[in-house]
Order: sequence, then C-alpha cells, then structure tokens
Amino acid sequence: MKRPFRILGLVRGRSYDALAEQQKKAEARAGQLIRHLEEAKANSRLWKMKAEEASGALKKAQDAAESAQRQRRQAEKLSAEAEKQRQVAQNRSADFALLQRRLAESEHELSVAREQLMAIEVKLDILEGAANVLDGRTRDVIARRSGTESGTAV
Amino acid sequence: MGRLSDAETATPSAEPALSIVLTGRNDDYGVDFKTRFFRTLRFNAEQLAARGVVHEFVFVEWAPPPQRPRLIDLVFDAIPELDPSTCTWYVVDARYHQALSLNPRLEYHEFIAKNVGVRRARGRFVLTTNCDVFLSRAVLDVFARDALEPRVVYRAPRYDLKETVGEQGDVEWSDLEDPQNLAGPPRRLKPPYMPGGTGDFVLLDRETFHHVRGFNEIYRAARFGIDRNFIVKAISSGVSIVDIGGPVYHVNHAGSYHLTANAYVGRESEAPWGNRGWHSSGVSYVNPPTWGLQHAPAQRVAPGHWHLDFSWDAVPPLVDLNGVVLPAARIGGPYPGRYAAKLHSGSATDEKAE
Repeated sequence: MKRPFRILGLVRGRSYDALAEQQKKAEARAGQLIRHLEEAKANSRLWKMKAEEASGALKKAQDAAESAQRQRRQAEKLSAEAEKQRQVAQNRSADFALLQRRLAESEHELSVAREQLMAIEVKLDILEGAANVLDGRTRDVIARRSGTESGTAV
Repeated sequence: MGRLSDAETATPSAEPALSIVLTGRNDDYGVDFKTRFFRTLRFNAEQLAARGVVHEFVFVEWAPPPQRPRLIDLVFDAIPELDPSTCTWYVVDARYHQALSLNPRLEYHEFIAKNVGVRRARGRFVLTTNCDVFLSRAVLDVFARDALEPRVVYRAPRYDLKETVGEQGDVEWSDLEDPQNLAGPPRRLKPPYMPGGTGDFVLLDRETFHHVRGFNEIYRAARFGIDRNFIVKAISSGVSIVDIGGPVYHVNHAGSYHLTANAYVGRESEAPWGNRGWHSSGVSYVNPPTWGLQHAPAQRVAPGHWHLDFSWDAVPPLVDLNGVVLPAARIGGPYPGRYAAKLHSGSATDEKAE
C-alpha cells in the first residue's frame, strides 16, 4: 500500500514529519556549515595574513642575517687591519724607543764634544796669545840687535 | 833681601777676621782714580772700625807707572786716620805684567794682582773687591756678627750710583742709600752663578781660597770673565755660592766697563779687556801651586810695605795647557756652562756685564 501513495506524491503524515524534521536538520546543518565555512574563510584570511607577516619577517631576518654576515666579514677585515696596524705601531714604538736612545746618546756625545771644543778653544787662545807675545819679544830682540850692529839708537 | 812668601811677608800681628784685598795703581784709571780710591777706603775703614771688625787691608799696587808717585806714598797723607797697622802693601815690579802677558792689549792683570794679595792675606776670611766699592750696612753687619761660614763664596749685588755722587767730597750713608742716586734698577743676583759685577765682591775663607788656588792664572788673554770663571771653579770644587744679603755700592765713572763696552763693537780684538767671549763659564783651571807669585822675592821697604822684585823663578810658564780643565758637574749643583760660539762682534749689551 505504500507504493501507491508515493506514486501519487503523497506521503504519510508520519513520514512527512520525519522528512520535515530531516529537512530542518539539514538546513540547520547547512547553516552551521555555512558559518563554519565563513569562519574557515576568516581563519584562512588570518593565516594568510600571518603567513604574509611571517614571510616578511623571514625576509627581514634573511636580510639581517645577510647584513650581519657582511658586517662580520667587515669586522674580520677590520680586525685583521687593526692587528696589522697594532703590529706596525709596536714596531714604530720599538723604533721610537731606539731613536730616543740614539738621540740621548747623540746629545750626550754632542755635549761632551762641545765641552772638549770649549777647552780646545781656550787652549788655542792661550797658544795664539803666547805666539803673539813671543813674536813681539823676538822682533824686539832682533830690532835691538840690528840697532846695535848698525850703531843706530833704538 | 831674602825670598819671603805668604805669611812670612805679612805684618806680624794677630790673625784678623777679615782681609780685604784691593789692587790698583796711580794711573788715573777711570779718571781721578786716587780721589775715588781714597774716599772709598776712608769710608770702609771707618765703618769696619766702628763695628769692631778686626780686619786688614791688603793692597797690591800692580806694576805702578814709574813717573808717578805710588799710592803707598800718598795714602796715609790722604787718609791720616787710616791705621797703618791694618794695612799691608805690596808693590809688584812692572816686569811681571809683561812677563805674564798673553795679550799685549791688556793693561792690567787684575786677578793675578788679587791673587798676590789673597796668597799673602792673613784673615780667616778674604774679600776681594775693587778700590771704588763701598760696603753696605747689611754686609758690614754680617762681618760684625762673625756670621760667615767656611767653604762658601759670598757674593753681593752691585748697585751703580750716578757719577755725581760724592763729587763734593766724602760719601755718606745718605748718598749711598738714596734711591734717587741709583743709576739704574738695583741688580739681583741670579743663582747658581750669581753673575754681574762678580769682581766687586768675592768673599771666601782663606783656606778654601788657597785650596782652589785663587783666580785663573792659566788664561791670561782676557780680563773679562775671570771672576765668573772663579765661580765655576768654586762650584766645581764643591763650594757653595751664597748671596750675603746686602749690596755693595759703586759710583759710576768714566771708563767703567759697562759705560765703555760699546766703544769696541766691531773691533773686539782691540779692547783692553781682551776677548769677552772666551768660555769662562764652560772651562775650569788648575793654577800651579806657586799661584799668586809665590816665589817673587819680597823686599821689606817699611813696616807693612813690601816690594815684590822681579824674578823669572816666580813667573809661571807662558803656556800651561794642562791647567785648562773641564769643570765637574756636582750632584744638586748646576751643570757647567754650555758651548757658545765665540763673540766677534755685536752689542756689549748682549753680554753679561761683569
């Protein structure tokens, strides 16, 4: 007997209620699914945004890492240069100390030489004075002798 | 006449506290030398006596001109109050000047003459000064207090007074101490050498004077700088140089070195004081042990009056290069003078006025 009702597009009341109930449930489920879908879409947007942010952060981090790498290489270069300069400065310092010692020695030698020069100049003064005096005395003696020999009064 | 030297020729009386050694001659040095000398001698003798300073004047009349009366023959008439027992007079035969000369232009071996007096002085302390230098109250007070120390060269700054001071006769304290009479700003002695008018005041105990053998007799080519050279020698010998604490006064006169020095600019070799630029600050000397004409035969003419006859035995060698030495630098003392190129020309104002 069921079949004929179906054929006629008729259902029993009890079936109708069940079907209506099923429809309601389906519609509720569909609404729920639509909400879930909306939420999923929102979440998807959020994650997409986060993914984009993460991607940006990653890019920045990669850039920073590259920059740090460059700076590290620069620092290593500068460190090597500084070490080289320190070595040069150390060598110059040693040279300077040596030059200072040599300068002090030279000044001392110059001072001693000047002292000796003073003594020598004083001695030369004495010798020059003595030579002049002896020259004068000799001339006097010769002049007197010539005067006596020639009979000329001097 | 016998050969006498040092204390043997001195007047035999108690050892004075102070001998004042002077040298000069009647040659009108600086115009009217006699008058300037006598007024100074009178003043100093009076002041020393007034303070009870037991002293003697040792006067060396160096190579006096034969045609003029000698100072010894004039002094007691000019200063009747001068006590002859405080004076010992040595007249030095003129031939010593020629025999010692290393520079015919030098007219006077001032410091060898002073050595003659120092050698024969009897005082515990010996002051070498000049005939026209007045002692100040401060200096006289030091003498009166008997406050002198051995192994110390005492120096005094010289205050130059205007030529007009004392023109009217005797000099009084008011003439000497009046700031209006100063010819220039008062000098100050600058350590360590305390140069400036050194020859006007060098005071030292007799023993140390003998130890350093007096002024330089090796370098006889200049008169200038010999006094400074003595200070170099003294410091090198470990002797201190000290300002006695008061000045001496000197009345300017024609012929004063500091008034005539510029007259020989450009012709230094003709100057009567010799080469001013010799290294008097940089070298020292060792006189022979017979310094001060030790072996000059002394003939006693009268009490306190001796004539030093000429003898080649008393004349040191013409050249004694071993006597030129470098001064020793003493710990805590000044380093001897640095080398300075010899002076051939230029203004005398650049030089230290001795």
